[in-house]
Amino acid sequence: MTTTQAFPSVRVRNMGRSFGSNTVLSGVDLEIARGEFVALLGRSGSGKSTLLRALAGLDADYTGSVRVPARRAVVFQDPRLQPWLRVLPNVLLGLPRDARRDLGRHALREVELAGHERDWPATLSGGEAQRVALARALVREPELLLLDEPFGALDALTRIRMHALLRVLCARHTPAVLLVTHDVDEAILLADRIVVLGRDGRLGEAIPVDLAQPRQQDTAEFGALRRALLAELGVPLSVVDATMGG
Amino acid sequence: MSATDIAAPDQLGSAAEPALVEAASFSTRHRPRLRLPRTVRRLGGPLLLLVVWQLVGSLGIASSQVLAPPSAVARAAWDLTASGELGANLLASLIRAGEGLAVGVPLGVLLALVAGLFRLGDDLVDSSMQILRGLPVLGLLPLVIIWFGVGELPKVALVAFGALFPVYVNTYAGIRGVDNRLVESGRAFGLGRAGLIRYVLLPGAVPGFLVGLRFALTASWLILVIAEQLNATTGIGYLMNQAQSWYRTDIIVLGLLIYGLLGLASDGVVRLLERRLLVWRHGFEG
Repeated sequence: MTTTQAFPSVRVRNMGRSFGSNTVLSGVDLEIARGEFVALLGRSGSGKSTLLRALAGLDADYTGSVRVPARRAVVFQDPRLQPWLRVLPNVLLGLPRDARRDLGRHALREVELAGHERDWPATLSGGEAQRVALARALVREPELLLLDEPFGALDALTRIRMHALLRVLCARHTPAVLLVTHDVDEAILLADRIVVLGRDGRLGEAIPVDLAQPRQQDTAEFGALRRALLAELGVPLSVVDATMGG
Repeated sequence: MSATDIAAPDQLGSAAEPALVEAASFSTRHRPRLRLPRTVRRLGGPLLLLVVWQLVGSLGIASSQVLAPPSAVARAAWDLTASGELGANLLASLIRAGEGLAVGVPLGVLLALVAGLFRLGDDLVDSSMQILRGLPVLGLLPLVIIWFGVGELPKVALVAFGALFPVYVNTYAGIRGVDNRLVESGRAFGLGRAGLIRYVLLPGAVPGFLVGLRFALTASWLILVIAEQLNATTGIGYLMNQAQSWYRTDIIVLGLLIYGLLGLASDGVVRLLERRLLVWRHGFEG
């Protein structure tokens, strides 16, 4: 997939955010092209979600410039479905009243949840609920899809299925995607480009991921990239070698 | 086991085989036995109580002027029903409770919405409500009589007042207790202020409202017990007050039973409402 196009969907310039005297983000520059999948890696508490919240329009108290398209959608770490709405109204939440119900049904089919339109969120498994959250994001045909550790709470097997599903859906809908995660392997598996958020609140150089899809975690290139990213995250190489078997 | 045992696995084989114990022996086994259905066993207690109560009367341990036996209470119930007295007085009580609740509950909800949804409303309403709700409702009785006289109005007003606070406090807490992450996700998907109220805050406040409603119903009967014994010419409380002059403990006990049944019935109504309004909680249908 080509990574750079003429008109970026996201343009962040010299963005900063502090909470009191605590500077979480500073001098952040980031561009994401249409159809490009960018992963933002960082330790927990490093301000990854703060950047995502600003892009989502949930935080107005940043400095600098954050330009985003009008049609955005977020998938949070927890599904955050309204528990008192059935699945289909949850998918269509916030859309104009004349929004077509069959669009919602179609989105549910895409995440393999056809027939669950009238279920209550309380009856869904964690993976199903997160797929509803994904359908709720996709039904808006977003130009920018924001993913805030969306698979962090899922079991490993479900996560593998969700990765595959997400790749397919992103290829079909071609939104600009920002995935926030602390999972290095997840970032390498999915992203066209990876940026690391340092402890000083600044973004490191973007690292392109030039591996063909579908990517295999046990190849040498994958391992080399994983080691480089872990080093940039400040994990000592001795620890990496010990746990990854070299 | 000491650390050296773990460090030297090759010695384990030569050690004596450890004595193993059947795991089930650590807890007692459930013996299958003939069991009466739970409802039957739970009825046993009250039935026993009823028998003892009847014996206390029949054996002359307590005269019927002190405590009428169940048989006398049943007879009083029959007589009063046949003469139509019970029905008329029950209806009078129900109407008072209904009118009071019809004023108090909506008012409580309205104030909770004003305080729960708007910052200015919160500042103006909540502090006053927190002060007022400390007042014992029945302490207002003399004031209410001066304001509304001795007719129906003071009784209805007291019920309304007693219902207002539990509904307000619990609905307000319900609105304020809505998970902020749900509000945020609503905002992220384009809900405006009205949409947030309609799809997030109001549904989120329903469980709290129902708790308040349950307290309000209980409070309404409690208030009627007292209010109907003062300057009333109808109602279950009036019936009991009359009976007191004639030492008719059978009618007094009957009145108490009816208040108890009314309490149970109103609890049933709220439970029904919960099943309808809170289906989403467990996902079962109706």
